[in-house]
Amino acid sequence: MPRQFRLWQKKRGERRTGSKLLGSVGEALFAAALFLIGLVALAALVTVQILHAGHDGARLSGWGLWLLILVFASLLLMGGVGVVYTLLQLGASVERRSEMVRRATNLELIRKAIPEPQEFLTIPHDADLTNSPGITLAYRLPIAYSPAWKLFPVLAFCLVWNGVASVLLVLAFDSFTAGRPDWFLTSFLVPYLAVGVGSIVFFVRQLVMLARVGPTSVEISDHPLLPGGRYSVFLSQAGRISVEKIDLLLVCEEEATYHQGTDVRTESRCVYEQPLFSQQGFEILPGVPFESDCEFQVPEQAMHSFRSNCNAVQWKLVVAGAAKGLPPYRRSFPVIVYPRASGNGSAGWSP
Amino acid sequence: MEPLISVALRDGKRVYHPGDTLTCEYQIDGVARDEIQAIEASVLWHTEGKGDEDLGVHYFERHTVGEVNGGDLRALRRLETRLPNSPLSYLGVVVKIRWCVRVRVFLRRGKDVVVQHPFQLGDVPAVVLEQVEQEE
Repeated sequence: MPRQFRLWQKKRGERRTGSKLLGSVGEALFAAALFLIGLVALAALVTVQILHAGHDGARLSGWGLWLLILVFASLLLMGGVGVVYTLLQLGASVERRSEMVRRATNLELIRKAIPEPQEFLTIPHDADLTNSPGITLAYRLPIAYSPAWKLFPVLAFCLVWNGVASVLLVLAFDSFTAGRPDWFLTSFLVPYLAVGVGSIVFFVRQLVMLARVGPTSVEISDHPLLPGGRYSVFLSQAGRISVEKIDLLLVCEEEATYHQGTDVRTESRCVYEQPLFSQQGFEILPGVPFESDCEFQVPEQAMHSFRSNCNAVQWKLVVAGAAKGLPPYRRSFPVIVYPRASGNGSAGWSP
Repeated sequence: MEPLISVALRDGKRVYHPGDTLTCEYQIDGVARDEIQAIEASVLWHTEGKGDEDLGVHYFERHTVGEVNGGDLRALRRLETRLPNSPLSYLGVVVKIRWCVRVRVFLRRGKDVVVQHPFQLGDVPAVVLEQVEQEE
């Protein structure tokens, strides 16, 4: 274990430079200090208010008083919770802490609030995927995220950047008309305006794409899925595009989240991809969506869906399309795969 | 001197299926009786790979000196539990899920010693990296 601090590199994971016990003691002392500061400050505030009762000039009142109470009470609470939490961490192994959490989640009150089925822990609940009946098949799958949401940050950036650009442009223009041209501002403005115009072009392209590539709908005959199970899927693609190619895929992705210093990073990796359907060279006209259906089989030995705090195995149906004059698009529809029944027949999902 | 912790699965299997009963025996040697403060035995899954480790305890037991007649925690003990439906053992590319029996011995001088005995739950095959790269 390295004994020197690396100044310019964020540490990844939970490796430590130094003693874990000393670190925990330091955390407990810091939390205790916060608690004491909050306690002393709150006590002093209350004492001052009581001692100066009747002398309005010396007492605090209104927003100022409540703000101080809030700040001091927050310090008290954070310090107290920090001390208790650190002591619990010190005294208990990681397995014991996990067991405490498991017992807490088994309490009836909390069990009702947690959507995860207790007989299939770490498998996401499928209530959100089966609450929308399909028109052709049993269930209509929700899209992972709507492409319209991607427009909002782009629009916000466009507005802010070009707003600032217009102010700077007016200032530069004024300097020229006043006979005192500001060359520094003018030279700075050239690349700034270029970025602004580029952001407008990008936003308009995204908007046109959203308008021309209409909603994508995927329906499935049954859910959740089982390894080895056969299912029907129905695809509908609306819009006004000249399609070069459209594919429907069954995809399995692994996702891992890790801490690197104060950064949180996520890495995804596709570990399985099965083409279900593909068609090329056709037109989609307004009001006449492209529709197709097909059957597929989940691999016999497929890993079930899995989700924990920092790791996940996710299955999804993916529609990947390419159209003339537009960038390629990809829309994902999550599905959940349960483990199949074992040989002894005592486990596995059954309807 | 470090204690010697022996952990053995009763039926000698390494591959289990959901619903199977896991029976495991463990005992401590190589350390004086009064050196041991507590023992914890657990059946758990944990993740490995790129992501931060997640852990889930399926079965847990803890024994302290005060609970045991004679105060000797070194004796042979057995734990038995019915294995759950999920998560199954999995060897992926960036995510791995492993099951094990873990025994942790807490010593009087503040140290703790851990031994774990892995086993496989389910028969999901490992993801083959070459196939994944070819598909990409």
